[in-house]
Amino acid sequence: MFKLNLKIALRSLWKNKVSSFINVIGLAIGLAACLMLLIYVSYEWNFDKQAKNSTHVYETMTNVFGDKGEIMTTFDGTPTAFAPLIKQEIPEVKYICRINYGDKSLIANGTNSFKRIARFADPDILHLYDYQFIHGDPKTAMTSPGSVILTETTARILFGSTDVLNKSVRYQDQHELTITGIIKDLPANSSNQFDYLMPWSFYQTVEEQARDLNWSNYGYITLMSLDPGANPDLVNKKITAVVKEKNAQTFASHFIFPLNKLHLYGKFKDGKSIGGDIEKIWLFMGLAFGILLIACINFMNMATAKSEKRAKEVGIKKTIGATRSSLIIQFLTESMVLTMISIIMAIALVEIFLPAFNNLLDMKLSLGYFNAYSWFGIMGIVLFTGLTAGSYPAFYLSSFNPIQTLKRNIKTKHLFSISLRQVLIIGQFSFTIILIIATLVIYRQIQYIKNKPQGVDINALVEMPQDGALKIKYEELKSQLIKSGAVTSVNSSVSGLAHHGNNFSGLKWPGMKEENKIMFNKVLTTSDFVKTSGLKLLQGRDFSEKYASDTAAVLVSASAVKTMGLHNPLGQVISIFSDRMTIIGIFEDYVWDSPYKSNNPMIVSYSKNYTGTITMRLNPANSLQQNVETIEKITKQMNPAYPVEINFLSAIYANMLQQEKTLGLLSNLFGALAIFISCLGLYGLVAYSAEQRTKEFGVRKVLGASVYSLMELLSLSFIKMIMIAILIAVPVAYYVMGIWLRNFEFHTSISWWIILIAACGTLVMAILTVSWQAYKTARANPVDALKYE
Amino acid sequence: MIKLENIEKYYANKGLKSYILRHVSTTIEQGEFVSIMGPSGAGKSTLLNILGMLEEPTYGTYEFMGENVTALNERKRIELYRNHIGFVFQAYHLIDEMTVAENIEAPLLYKKIGSAERKSRVADMLDRFNIVGKKDLFPNQLSGGQQQLVGIARALAAQPSIILADEPTGNLQSAQALQIMELFKTLNRKEGITIIQVTHAEVNAAYGSRILHLLDGVIKEDLNLVNV
Repeated sequence: MFKLNLKIALRSLWKNKVSSFINVIGLAIGLAACLMLLIYVSYEWNFDKQAKNSTHVYETMTNVFGDKGEIMTTFDGTPTAFAPLIKQEIPEVKYICRINYGDKSLIANGTNSFKRIARFADPDILHLYDYQFIHGDPKTAMTSPGSVILTETTARILFGSTDVLNKSVRYQDQHELTITGIIKDLPANSSNQFDYLMPWSFYQTVEEQARDLNWSNYGYITLMSLDPGANPDLVNKKITAVVKEKNAQTFASHFIFPLNKLHLYGKFKDGKSIGGDIEKIWLFMGLAFGILLIACINFMNMATAKSEKRAKEVGIKKTIGATRSSLIIQFLTESMVLTMISIIMAIALVEIFLPAFNNLLDMKLSLGYFNAYSWFGIMGIVLFTGLTAGSYPAFYLSSFNPIQTLKRNIKTKHLFSISLRQVLIIGQFSFTIILIIATLVIYRQIQYIKNKPQGVDINALVEMPQDGALKIKYEELKSQLIKSGAVTSVNSSVSGLAHHGNNFSGLKWPGMKEENKIMFNKVLTTSDFVKTSGLKLLQGRDFSEKYASDTAAVLVSASAVKTMGLHNPLGQVISIFSDRMTIIGIFEDYVWDSPYKSNNPMIVSYSKNYTGTITMRLNPANSLQQNVETIEKITKQMNPAYPVEINFLSAIYANMLQQEKTLGLLSNLFGALAIFISCLGLYGLVAYSAEQRTKEFGVRKVLGASVYSLMELLSLSFIKMIMIAILIAVPVAYYVMGIWLRNFEFHTSISWWIILIAACGTLVMAILTVSWQAYKTARANPVDALKYE
Repeated sequence: MIKLENIEKYYANKGLKSYILRHVSTTIEQGEFVSIMGPSGAGKSTLLNILGMLEEPTYGTYEFMGENVTALNERKRIELYRNHIGFVFQAYHLIDEMTVAENIEAPLLYKKIGSAERKSRVADMLDRFNIVGKKDLFPNQLSGGQQQLVGIARALAAQPSIILADEPTGNLQSAQALQIMELFKTLNRKEGITIIQVTHAEVNAAYGSRILHLLDGVIKEDLNLVNV
């Protein structure tokens, strides 16, 4: 019986090629979207879950309190003294380790040198993560301070092979380290990434801040694992008590949070997790299932539209002894067959488009992230889709009474079936229109932010990290660069122009009222700061070598002047902690950190002691390439141990919009898919309806109906549904996108033309879809239609 | 075998009853070959549908093989279709997606007959109707007469005790019609299958043993051909 059902299902698929094509393509796209989602979800979901005992691993979080004892912020930094104390005092803590945040540092095998991500950690880290050692012994790999563990890729880059145990590498062009382990590369969905790992004991010899056991520098991550039976709440209470005893400061407290949840639930408010990247998963899930649902609706609509034909079959089968349940099984078999074909196509689609998709979204997803569970998930989706798509026809069609169907008058339920089909179409198109409006709004917002004056001339502006010899030879580099003619101006600052904040409070200024907690942003720089960056100087002058007094001078942003309420700012003296600084210039605010919100007022002071980033304004007289080559040559000569890294500010600024661009791309992609599948479904319905009404149209034509009036007859009911969909979708989209826009301090508005474009665009697409078929039908020779039967 | 008592069928439309059948009472014994005749709109098809339990009478009782089946639930009705009743339609009503052999096999599948038995019965039918060469063709590849042969073969495959045929030759040419009628006669005489057919043609009715003449929903004449 099953075999026959299967055979018949395949035959009827083959016979009705148009509708099968519409169903299979639609379902395949919907399923492909779902598969992508599944890959993405398994990637995100398995973040930091690779280790065997990852469920017992916790990261220490820190709450920072404000004036009134409220929790101002929660972050993952802890001081150096924390881990040793906890290890000693709390027995439930099995392993505990400090890790630094890691940065790109130089590692070299002879002259073969690269900047790769370096991290330092206590040896316990090897118990928290199950790094897979290709060579070396995890028990001893981190015991000696002069040891280093390389990842497979790093070893290959440096040596060309992984068999490099006990060989030596040079760290930061200063320290010789012995390789004590080579491990498999860390999975991309692991939070604490590194290319090579060194012991904390070594860190203490090279970094003063790490050596000092204190409760003031919250610059390190602390991970720990608890005994399997331990209660984390109890541990938290103990931590609070233990820390209180040792640490007199009251502005911060610590608690532990499961490491494998931190990635998805890493957004904290009032010390409680309130979500995080999980929201992205919900969004993606909604989109993917939306597409799948649209495809399922196509299937149901096509099936019910064909009900008249299928009804005859139901009638015959009932008279030869088929029960309702056997018919239901038959219809479900058909939809399952279709879904199976679709899933195979979907897997092929995913394989084909995944690289492009990864490229677009800057991710590294692959079907390889699938484990047994994921395949269960896929089977679940197939089953769900097959049942959803097949259920309506199965239960509806199988209920037909044989004699009515054989007499070809199934009018009884007609009204109902039509209206349900209409509802489904309206739902499809509402979803589509919402996506289109969302795409347009996101696009507008990105354009708005892009076109907002940045206040800094980022064209022909480049920066590079100030590493190694460049720290001491900065003046020489500067004079050589300027002499070469490649740049017109050079400046060294503690951070790049688009930096992330170094914020402080406690600034004092003349005429200040009482104590305040206003946060200011502090930048330490050298001469030619304004000249190089191209900021707009409103009053005063730039830092210059000519004035020795500039070490006690500051430049302030316009918003800083406004915040302090200074009327005659030039020459006023402000104090930062114990330093008294004279304001010598005021510059206009510019965009940094986030282009979506106004940033803290900025105080820029002069210091040659802090280095970080060299910013250069390229000489417009030469070609870009020439300039860059000259800079590379000079820098390499002066600092041979380090590779030269030149970054364009324009690219850095473009990167700030990355997340919204991703969102824009996603809604673009899914919007296009949604409208494609919806129109496909519409086409199928119109084609079928045209086929059904061939005779009627023939009669009408003989009676003198015009082509236009026939097209109207066939199209109008569909167009009406699209209109209703527009009426439903527009307010929903307006509301939802309004909420989205209000997330940004600087945002555009949803203008009427966006809605107009979305509505008209959808309508035009639908009219084109419908009218082509309608035109074909209306133009057909009436004789052909009438001699039928 | 069949006992109809005072069967009535009407549709109420705005308070007016429009009668299709009135006071139909008759008995049909096992082994009879009954033709229902009458002009268009006389209620022939409705009567046959009621006999086939495809429609319910508005009033009256219907006994099939000694059991009251006037208002039978779907499950029991299908049970009767599987075991006792074979339908033959004017428009053949074969299943388009199935081959000739599969069409014949279909009722056996629903009857849950074992695979070996099914094969032998299908082969038997194909043989008997001389359509072995066409077993893998689809209905739309056959002529009307051949389709009707398949339709009858399908009805017979389940070995019913009664065949209900609604103008089985209505769409056929006279030579083919003749062939079908001969077949019915043989089935009736040699295998004792009860046959009830609706027909317009006197010629067809002549093959049967009894004629029920219907006019405006009433049995006008009950003619026994055997005694004549």
